[in-house]
Amino acid sequence: MDELYLDNIDEYINDHNKIVTYKWLSLALGVHVNIAKQMLYHYLDRCRKDGSNTQLHATYLVSGKCVQNGSLCHKVSVVREDKLEDMKSRMEPAISIHVYSIQKAEIKDSSTLYSTDYDAVRDNLKNCNKYSAIHCAAAVPMTTAELELIQEIQRTSSPEKVTNAGLTAQAPVAKTNVKTSKSIMGMFANKKSTVKSQGSNIEVKVEKKEDAPSVEAVEVKPAGMAKFFTKSTKKQDKCIKTEAEQSSPVEKKDPELPSKLDDEKEKGLGDFKAKRENKDTRSKTKRPDLTDSEDEKIETGSQKKKRRRIKKPQLDSSDDEDLPAKPAVITTESPEKTTEKQPMATPEVSTGGKIRKRRRVLKPKTFVDEEGCIVTEKVLESESYSEDEEVETSKPKAAVFPSFPGKKDEGRRNAKKPAAASNKSSKQASITGFFQKK
Amino acid sequence: MATLTRQDLNFGQVVADILCEFLEVAIHLILYVREVYPSGIFQKRKKYNVPVQMSCHPELNQYIQDTLHCVKPLIEKNEAEKVVVVIMDKEHHAVERFVFEISQPPLLSISSETLLSHVEQLLRAVILKISVCDAVLDNNPPGCTFTVLVHTREAATRNMEKIQVIKDFPWIVADEQEVHMQGSRLIPLKTMTSDIVKMQLYVEERAQKTS
Repeated sequence: MDELYLDNIDEYINDHNKIVTYKWLSLALGVHVNIAKQMLYHYLDRCRKDGSNTQLHATYLVSGKCVQNGSLCHKVSVVREDKLEDMKSRMEPAISIHVYSIQKAEIKDSSTLYSTDYDAVRDNLKNCNKYSAIHCAAAVPMTTAELELIQEIQRTSSPEKVTNAGLTAQAPVAKTNVKTSKSIMGMFANKKSTVKSQGSNIEVKVEKKEDAPSVEAVEVKPAGMAKFFTKSTKKQDKCIKTEAEQSSPVEKKDPELPSKLDDEKEKGLGDFKAKRENKDTRSKTKRPDLTDSEDEKIETGSQKKKRRRIKKPQLDSSDDEDLPAKPAVITTESPEKTTEKQPMATPEVSTGGKIRKRRRVLKPKTFVDEEGCIVTEKVLESESYSEDEEVETSKPKAAVFPSFPGKKDEGRRNAKKPAAASNKSSKQASITGFFQKK
Repeated sequence: MATLTRQDLNFGQVVADILCEFLEVAIHLILYVREVYPSGIFQKRKKYNVPVQMSCHPELNQYIQDTLHCVKPLIEKNEAEKVVVVIMDKEHHAVERFVFEISQPPLLSISSETLLSHVEQLLRAVILKISVCDAVLDNNPPGCTFTVLVHTREAATRNMEKIQVIKDFPWIVADEQEVHMQGSRLIPLKTMTSDIVKMQLYVEERAQKTS
């Protein structure tokens, strides 16, 4: 065997400061992976024997059976040189040990190993398995005829899957869905999260069904709009999120399983869409939070409004309770009220044919409480009245005042209040009616 | 397929966005690789389709983000010549300087379709180089701190002082001992050339780190 490969490896490691993995080497030199592994081993062996000054670090791939969590399993892991012996002892038996990579720098974490192979595999995407040792006789690329057949089958079966399509996170479809759905569904500004899932429902159909009848599209739309107003859309978002999460961890595995790494890389390389999808699902999960907060705000706003309404009568009643505290007022009030009630009673009896309505009026009521004090309270009482009587009721009340010239101010104020209240409650109340009597 | 020219308002912003995102990842990675902070605060995240180490500490992240937020307008106007991440020892003497030399071509019309994936590939290569840089660098003494310097023109400095881009985050003129190092050697790490930006990354390292 030529020794040229040793010089090549030496150049890569020392001059270029590269991490030389066996896969990268096999693609760079165009050799089978097993030969690349042997090359690395020879190089490492020679360097160690020479005792050269350049410090080299190596990582190894160890695979074997071991007991983990009480069960026997086959473990494949990439370990640093210093942990090699430890890992070997744990495995019984250690089926395969070979050099995974050689580099000058000490590797702190596996992401650098992954990045090393990433570009090399991406450049040789179509034939990255050319030098691979993993073969499956049944894994043969499909002919164009078979491809067309499968596409037709997909087209015919897609109408049945339409309603479920919105829930499954299919990476290429989801990406374009999100893009186009933004423009259409920008009109529906309220619940963006629900809208997007509905948008994907509609868009998936548009993409998959080329010859689909438009009737089905119309049918799904009303159903979609019905879902628009239900709370089940939140579940849909969660479904999308969890399914996206399931697909993304596949791409994020460490290179402890290099044989599976190729497949993962193909998935990750083939589309940046998975990354986009992650971003979208993240943004989708944000939106339900936004809509929740919006709903809460609306609810609290209405509650506030309700509270405001409740407060007003409470304020009125609290004001009224303060007034009857003075006993001096009460004595002057009582003769007034009796006179007021009498004139009010007479007009009610006389009218017969006019429109009669019942209304709630604040009327003062005097009574003796527990301590023996006379208490006057304003109480809402329903009273029948007719609209024409408004002017008449104000007249007798006005007539009351001149007959009591020596009254106190509080008394006058209290007398005014029932009059004012009755004037306010009627529709045609006019303050000038008070002054006309004089 | 959109074509962007230098005159487009978006062009400077696009380049600045890409570069600032990249610089954020690079700074986090430098802090991880050079062990400025314990590795426990770092978490694997995905950027440019590869795993990278980013810090979880909120104040550190905020500091780096604020720094780059202020640098972004300079990059937009192509006024930032260099962005330097300086690692200093306990006595605040510079021990290592990671220099990102940035230059943007003045007039160029580019198509955006293949551009981004190409730029991503180049940035990925720079990230990979940073992760293995400790092969060519000596170990730092314990208790190091870091800071970010920007080399720019005087007019731009005046503007930065006048307009505080972020409140309570002032930029000051750097000390001599942060800018120049005694007895330093230069180790080139990576050069990146693309249609929209040219970047060179090298490290100035002090010959004697532990005094």
